Amino acid sequence: MKFVLSLLTASLALAQHSAETWTTYGKNTLGWRYSELDQINASTVSRLAPQWMYQTGVPGKHESTPLVFDGMMYTTGPSNYAWALDALTGRPIWSYKSPPPADIDLCCGPVNRGFAVHGNKLFKVNLEGKLLAMDAKSGAVLWEATLEDYKKGYAATAAPLVVKDLVVTGMAGAEFGTRGFIDAYDMETGKRAWRFYTVPGENEPGSNTWSKDTWKRGGGSTWITGTYDPELNVIYWGTGNPGPDLDGDVRPGDNLYTCSLVALDADTGKVKWHYQFTPHDVHDWDSTSDPVLLDLALNGRTVKSVMMANRNGFFYALDRATGKLLVTKAYTKVTWADGIGADGRPIRISGQDPTPEGNKTCPGMGGGHNWQATAYSPQTGLYYFSSSENCMLYYKTKQDFEEGQWYQASTVDRNPSGTGRIVALDPKNGQTVWQFDMVSSPTAGLLATAGGLVFTGDAQGYLIAFDARSGKVLWRFQTGGTIIAPPISYALRGRQYIAVAAGETVMTFALPSQ
Amino acid sequence: MRRATFFVLLAVCQAQDNPFASDPKAAETARPMFRILCAPCHGLTAEGGKGPDLTLGTYNAGDQDRDLYRAIARGVTGSEMQAYAGRLDDKAIWRLVSYIRSVGHKETNPITGDVANGERLFWGKGACGQCHKAGVRGNSIGPDLSLVGRQRSLAYLRASLVTPDADITPGYTTVIVIKPDGTKVVGVERSFDNFSAQLVDLSGRYYSFIREDVTSMKREFRSLMPSYAGTFNDAELNDILVYLTSLRGAK
Repeated sequence: MKFVLSLLTASLALAQHSAETWTTYGKNTLGWRYSELDQINASTVSRLAPQWMYQTGVPGKHESTPLVFDGMMYTTGPSNYAWALDALTGRPIWSYKSPPPADIDLCCGPVNRGFAVHGNKLFKVNLEGKLLAMDAKSGAVLWEATLEDYKKGYAATAAPLVVKDLVVTGMAGAEFGTRGFIDAYDMETGKRAWRFYTVPGENEPGSNTWSKDTWKRGGGSTWITGTYDPELNVIYWGTGNPGPDLDGDVRPGDNLYTCSLVALDADTGKVKWHYQFTPHDVHDWDSTSDPVLLDLALNGRTVKSVMMANRNGFFYALDRATGKLLVTKAYTKVTWADGIGADGRPIRISGQDPTPEGNKTCPGMGGGHNWQATAYSPQTGLYYFSSSENCMLYYKTKQDFEEGQWYQASTVDRNPSGTGRIVALDPKNGQTVWQFDMVSSPTAGLLATAGGLVFTGDAQGYLIAFDARSGKVLWRFQTGGTIIAPPISYALRGRQYIAVAAGETVMTFALPSQ
Repeated sequence: MRRATFFVLLAVCQAQDNPFASDPKAAETARPMFRILCAPCHGLTAEGGKGPDLTLGTYNAGDQDRDLYRAIARGVTGSEMQAYAGRLDDKAIWRLVSYIRSVGHKETNPITGDVANGERLFWGKGACGQCHKAGVRGNSIGPDLSLVGRQRSLAYLRASLVTPDADITPGYTTVIVIKPDGTKVVGVERSFDNFSAQLVDLSGRYYSFIREDVTSMKREFRSLMPSYAGTFNDAELNDILVYLTSLRGAK
């Protein structure tokens, strides 16, 4: 009996993860956002047309990656909303809402980036630092766990990640003097299995990179989903800025493990290695972009690597077994560092830190590449991401810490003439192979497909399909709302779909049926 | 009944009093918040920029603490001032009120000028109405100035007249399109995206172009408005500034 059950579970899991479905934030746990479907391709994409729209009616930024399996689409919205939609028609089957507390403080809007799934259980976070398990059939809440007290500035926005029998989640709130962590919970009971603090406590390794008790509010939030290598049994997760963001004087030292990539043992949460992209960051350059896991052919050998277009303006590929730097190159204008040294540390250019009067530095506060989902196509071998082309005046000020209050210690002058690009980069050497110039900062995530296409959206509402090799625009559609979420792809009854949230509407596209 | 009314009124009054009115530290604790949220429009020193000067001790939204509270919490109709009630709690808003009070020190009327002459110059010698609306008169090529006295500080308005490129109102950049036959269309942005441009030229004619159909299209962050530094003398500039600051819509 037990054998039959486990066989059933295995086949269910297998059916859930296929070319036709989309069952984890990054499509696979390696974070590729690559769909193996090719019905929509360079020769057919010109006929791509809307199929249905679901208007959520919830104001705010829609950043969710929908999950699609068993004929249903599961997606989340701002302000703790979520929906199960019939994937064929867009009709709502159930909905969930849980109004966030009125006194919650959030840096960047009441956003959510989607569900994780295992079997019939869905997992999502709520803004007030909660993790929930829900029944996929009904939307009923099965259990609820509290990550940390929202009144102290903690929040949660990322899609969780399922790793074996654990559900792993990050937190947000580095603008409020919090102390970052990555948590793993037992998916049956909601009991916490382990926690990794991204800022070490007293006498722990790395604690000497903080002064006095500044580690207690050291930031290093973990607001974008990490990735998982089942062979090495390692979780890779990016960490955010140290706190306070712009006044580094109060926290001398490297400030580990902020602005880093951490490699964690999936069973224990113990750190195996870390790589800090920006030691002692003072520009709010979170390293939260998806860590994409790929096997990289370098000098005649294949290296298991992890890559990231970092917010600080540099592309990095690291050996994912050791954390050793393999490839790095600036992909945008960088004025704060003259490359990365042999020791893996940036070669800093002096006079680039924020000042009370304002100091111009490139890239701007949002980066380079920020959090918007990236894509990797094994077909082209290229890595696709968005980049803001922007410099900003950075200011700092003295600010006393008060629990739960905004703790950024000044600001930037935004540059209205900032532009952006979609970049296709060769991870073997960091060279840009093609780029698509945008009139303003890119807003949306990306999707690569076996049809030789790359999809993304823009701030002005266009959903765009590029030729993955050349960057030529093959198709576009004006959706009428800013696209922030990454597009996804799935198949139903023999037809391939592209789905994305635009404005406050979830939309799907497919080729006309024969 | 009367007693009930009295209690209700009392409760309302209490809710509108600044709980930090007698706390000298409150203003200082709000300074970093001011720099983050308010300085982009009101300036690092609160002396105004795109948004009004907050150091004058008198404000568009009213001069009581509760007026400032309301302006921060709910925003100001007819201006770009947003509502912050969703982002800031009660205490944070009152501390900002304290901060704004602490920086108010200046004379209320820093320049003198002749409003009537300013109005004459606006419609006559300056020909400002060729592009701008003020009330029911004028054209809609540049920004509508009907409420500009509420929206902009004196220093910002002076800079706009003398160096129009210093800061461009969002959505009013200069768009340049070269057509396949080589002719050039220059106008004020109505919309501009990765695939198309919509603009109005200085004669008021509207155009819409698709990127693939033209040789080039670009947006420049400069203004098509000329500098008035050489057109008006100092007294005339003051007159027109006094007129502009008087444009506040219906009282």
